[in-house]
Amino acid sequence: MKFNTLLKKLMNKNESKDIAKKRLKFALLTDKLEIKADTLADLQRDLVEVISRYFEIDRDSIQIDIKRSEESSALIFNTPIISAISARSGREIPAA
Amino acid sequence: MDGKVIVVTSGKGGVGKTTITASIGAALAVQGKRVAIVDMDIGLRNLDVVMGLENRIVFNIVDIIQGKCKIKQAAIKDRRIDNLFLIPASQSDDKDVIKPENMVWLTNKLRKEFDITLLDCPAGIEQGFKNSIAAADEALVVCTPEVSAVRDADRIIGLLYAQSITPKLIVNRIVPKMVENGDMLSHEDVVDVLSIDLIGLIEMDEKVVVATNTGTPLILQEDSKAGMALQRIAMRLDGHPDLPVENPMIQKSFWKKLGSKFSRKN
Repeated sequence: MKFNTLLKKLMNKNESKDIAKKRLKFALLTDKLEIKADTLADLQRDLVEVISRYFEIDRDSIQIDIKRSEESSALIFNTPIISAISARSGREIPAA
Repeated sequence: MDGKVIVVTSGKGGVGKTTITASIGAALAVQGKRVAIVDMDIGLRNLDVVMGLENRIVFNIVDIIQGKCKIKQAAIKDRRIDNLFLIPASQSDDKDVIKPENMVWLTNKLRKEFDITLLDCPAGIEQGFKNSIAAADEALVVCTPEVSAVRDADRIIGLLYAQSITPKLIVNRIVPKMVENGDMLSHEDVVDVLSIDLIGLIEMDEKVVVATNTGTPLILQEDSKAGMALQRIAMRLDGHPDLPVENPMIQKSFWKKLGSKFSRKN
């Protein structure tokens, strides 16, 4: 390590290239997670279709969202269930 | 045997693609290859002035593709270097006049006549980029040690992988003093972020401006560090893939050298 760099480290001064690298890594991470506007809507439609085979759900209060933090990203899907659809209620669960 | 087609691309504009393409082409021709350099930036041609051939343009790439002339008529021979040819872009046409399949056709013809065809890709990821990568066997990605340029390079690398091309990286305009002071991303940082193979490191060099001013090949300028780095990149492309990549360093005085010896333990 060079003397100047050592001095900066000792003075606890952040090197600007370290900031650059950190920002860059974060930007690349979020770039890769970026999705097209209608992707979430398509996903919601498909999810509702699948869940509706098993549960009666309130389609208007469904929430779908992607939560991002510096560490990780998560897909959050939230839906209230009205009732379970059992085989007895006349509706058949389709075979896989 | 058929020649190969190499695209030089970056995503971000103004990182030195055109100068690098012209210089690598010139170096390859000096090394004895028959080289064609194609300006892919339809509507915004630049390679002709960088190579100092702007007064000799009669036909251009669009004329070839539209069948108005033969490749031999459009290819301009370099003034100084034998076996080096430029196929200029059209300045008046819309960039959508060329389609990827036209480029595949053109490069297949160029492969028969030239050992190496270099494509100078325009900035961006639109039509000109798609045309350039559709026809390429290999790719060189150019970036400078800046956040914006590296981010764009990452996007370009992803698009090249999607075309089954594994690109190699050139880091341009390195300022060794700033790297040492921790105020510029080092090439190690850039490689770490992009995780692709390096093919060359080019130091910031004022001689590039002089060469462009006069339209003379950078590699013929005496003691240009950038010119020498570009000649070594050309050698790595042509038969010497294992030639080590030199790291640009500060020219040090005796006392500084002594100082760095003592602080090396960390």
